[in-house]
Amino acid sequence: MDWAKYRTTTFDELIQSDGRPRPAARRLVEYLAGLSGRELAERQLAADVVARVQGITFTVYSDGRNVDRTLPFDLIPRIIPLSEWQRTEAGLKQRMRALNLFIGDIYGRQQIVKDKVFPAMLLKDSVNFRAQCVGITPPLGVWAHICGSDLVRDGDGTLYALEDNLRIPSGVSYMLENRMVAKRVFPELFETSSILPVDEYPSQLYDTLAALSPRPGDTPVIALLTPGVFNSAYFEHAYLAQAMGIELVEGSDLFVADDDCTYMRTVYGPKRVDVIYRRVDDLFIDPEVFLPESVLGAPGLIRSWRAGKVALANAPGAGVADDKVVFAYVPKMIKYYLDEDPILPNVPTYLCHNAKERKYVLDNIEKLVVKPANESGGYGMLIGPRSTKRQREKFKALIEANPRNYMAQPTLALSTAPIVTKQGPSPRHIDLRPFVLSRQDTYVTTGGLTRVAMVKGSLVVNSSQGGGAKDTWVVDLSDQEGEDG
Amino acid sequence: MLSRVADNLYWFSRYVRRAENTARLVGVGSQLQLDMPRSVRFAWRPMIDTVGAGECFEQCHPDAGDAAGDVDVVRFLLLDERNPSSLRTSVDSAREILRGIRDTLPQDVWEAINDLHLYIGAQGERSLSRRYRIEFLARIIDGCLKVSGLLSANVSRDIGYQFLRLGTALEQADMTTRIMDAGASGLVTPRNEDDRETFQNMQWMSVLRSVAGYQMYRRHVRQRVTAELALRFLLQNNEFPRSVHFCLTRAQSVLPTMPPRPGVDRHLNRVIGLTRNADPAVLAARNPAQFMDQIQMHLCALHDAIAEGYFHG
Repeated sequence: MDWAKYRTTTFDELIQSDGRPRPAARRLVEYLAGLSGRELAERQLAADVVARVQGITFTVYSDGRNVDRTLPFDLIPRIIPLSEWQRTEAGLKQRMRALNLFIGDIYGRQQIVKDKVFPAMLLKDSVNFRAQCVGITPPLGVWAHICGSDLVRDGDGTLYALEDNLRIPSGVSYMLENRMVAKRVFPELFETSSILPVDEYPSQLYDTLAALSPRPGDTPVIALLTPGVFNSAYFEHAYLAQAMGIELVEGSDLFVADDDCTYMRTVYGPKRVDVIYRRVDDLFIDPEVFLPESVLGAPGLIRSWRAGKVALANAPGAGVADDKVVFAYVPKMIKYYLDEDPILPNVPTYLCHNAKERKYVLDNIEKLVVKPANESGGYGMLIGPRSTKRQREKFKALIEANPRNYMAQPTLALSTAPIVTKQGPSPRHIDLRPFVLSRQDTYVTTGGLTRVAMVKGSLVVNSSQGGGAKDTWVVDLSDQEGEDG
Repeated sequence: MLSRVADNLYWFSRYVRRAENTARLVGVGSQLQLDMPRSVRFAWRPMIDTVGAGECFEQCHPDAGDAAGDVDVVRFLLLDERNPSSLRTSVDSAREILRGIRDTLPQDVWEAINDLHLYIGAQGERSLSRRYRIEFLARIIDGCLKVSGLLSANVSRDIGYQFLRLGTALEQADMTTRIMDAGASGLVTPRNEDDRETFQNMQWMSVLRSVAGYQMYRRHVRQRVTAELALRFLLQNNEFPRSVHFCLTRAQSVLPTMPPRPGVDRHLNRVIGLTRNADPAVLAARNPAQFMDQIQMHLCALHDAIAEGYFHG
C-alpha cells in the first residue's frame, strides 16, 4: 500500500499533516506499506467473505421487503493511543454518573430544577419524559444501564461528545465482530502489538444485568426482549443473547400474571423472569400503559416493574436525558451533581429557547447544523453550509415557532481515517461510539464502534445510509517505545 | 425452553431433513433416467405428486400435463419458490427460522445453512443441466448432513435437542413413506409387458439408493431386491435409521425426556401399530399408495398433538 500521496484536509487518525504516521499507528502503517495492492485486495475480500459467511448483517426495509445487508467493513483499523483513551474513558464515566443522577433527580425531587440549574420549561415539553416513572427508585438507583455515546474529533484534534444514546443504543455486536474479522485477517499484527482486547463486553453486560435481579442469591433468569427478526438490530439481539447465554424473547413469549410477576411461556409451563434487557422502545413495551395497539411488548410489564418484581434495562423513562437540548446541560450537570469539571467537552451547542443564543443561530444559520431535539438517525436536520436560501427560511420559521425544539451546532470538520480503495488509501470521515455500562461502578468498552462514511466527502456514518465500520484498536505504546528507542 | 423456540427447533430440523430428502429424490430420478433403456418410458410427473405438490405444480405449469419435461419438474422440485416444499424453500425456511433462534444453536450451524442458501442462489440454475446436477445435489446433501452432524456432535442434550430429534424423526418417517410411494407409483413404464417386473425391481433399487439404503439393504436382507422386500425394509426394519419404524421408535425414546403429554403418546402408539402390523406382501401386490397416505395422515395428527402439547403454551 502506497502512502506517498495520502493527504487529508482535516485531522487524520493515522497520518499526520506532514504525511508521517502518528506514533501509535506507525507499526500498522509500515506493515500495510509492505503489502502489495493485490495482497491488500485479497485480504479485503477475505474480510468481506468472513463477514458474509458469519452473517454479520443489519436489516433494511426497502422496496417493501426486508433485506439483510452486510455492514461494509474496511480493513484498516482506527487507532487510539492508550493514554488518550484513558482520559476519554474517565470522561465517559463522569458523564454517565451525572446523567444517571440527573434522571433519578428528575423522577424524584427535581432538585436541579428547583435550584434553577435546569429550566423547568424544558422538562415540561420533553418528549421522552414518562410521567408513569415519577416516584420510582430502580435497583441501585441506576436508570441508564447501557449507554452508547457518540464522539467526534474536530479538525483541531479535540475529541467532543456529540450525543448520548440512553434509550436502546445499538452497534456493540459490530464492534465485537469487527475484532473477530480483524484477527482473522491480521494475525501478525495482533502477535506483535499491544492491542487491548474488547471481548469482555458480554460478561460485563451480563454482570450489569444480573446485579439488578429482584431475587438475589438465586441464579437470575435474564431475558433479552427483541421486537423480532424484522428489526434492523435483530442480529445484535441474537448475538448478545447468545454471548451471554440468556433467553431471547419476543413480547408474545412473556406475560404478567395476577401476582405481578413476569413469566415466559416455556414447554414446561410458565417460568418467572427476573431481569429484562429490553431492546424495544418505551412506548411499545406495555400496551396497558403506553400505545395500546402495540404487540411488541407484554401487557402489564410496567406494573410488574413498578412492583419491583422484574428489572428493566434501560429503565423506562431513561430517555429523558436522550434529548439534544438536554444534552447541552450535561457539563452543568457534572458540575452540579459531582462538583467536577467536565473531562470530555460537549460539541458547542446553541439552544434556541435562549433569546441570545437563538439570535446567534438565526444570524449565522448558514454556518450551523440545526437539529430538532428528539429525532434520531439524522432526520429533520438542516446542514447550513449545504442548504438553499429557501430551506434556511423554512428552518428560521420553525425555530421561531417552537424554539424549545431546536438546537444548533457549528459544522465540524470531522476527523478522517484511511480506507482501502482501488486507487490506494483514501480518507473518509468517521465517528466513534463507545458503550458505557452502569451498575455499582461503571465500565466502558475498550475503544468502541468506529463508523465510517464510505462515500468520499460525506459526513453521514449511519449504517442505514451507506455507512460502514472499522475495527478500533486501543494501542498500548509503553512496551513498544523500549524496542523502538 | 421457550415454547416458540421449541417450535422453531422442531421445524428447523424438519426443513433440513426435507431439503436433504428432496435432493436425494431428484438425484435418484436423474440417475434412473440415465439407467433406463430407450424401450422404457420415464415420467417425472409422479414424483411431484409424491411430495404432495401436485396441485401447486398444475397452477405453476397449467399446460404441462403428464408429459412435464425434465427441466420444468426439476426446477419446480429444486428451485421454485412457489413450491412450499422445494429444496430452495426448505433451505430458506430453515435459514429464516434459524435467524430467529440463532442464539440457541452453535454459530457453525448458521454458517452451514447460510452457505447452503448462498450456494443454491449461486449454482441453482446450473443444476438444471444434467452435467452439473449430480454435483450440485451431492453438495446439498453433504451440507445437510453437515448440519445433522453439527447438531448431534455439538449441541447439548437439553430439551431443545429433543425437539430437534423429534422433528428429524417425524420428517424422515414422512419422507420415507413418500419415497416408497414414488417407488410404487410407476416412474417407469416399459413398452414390453414382459419387462415390467425387471424394471420395477430396478426402480426399487433406486428407491433404496434415494434413502442411502441400498448397501444397508444388501447387508441386512441379502436377497435380490423386490417390491415386497424393499417395502418391508423401509417400513419395518429396526436398525436402518431411515425406516419408518426406526424413526417412530426414536420419537418414542425422546418422549420420556419431555414433559408428559398423553395425547402425543396416544397418536404415536397408533401410527407405530399401523406400521408394525402392515403386511408388505399384500402391499406389494396392490398399490401401496393408499396405505402410505394413511401413515402420512397419522403423522399429521401426531404433529398436531405435539404442537398443541408443547408449542401453544
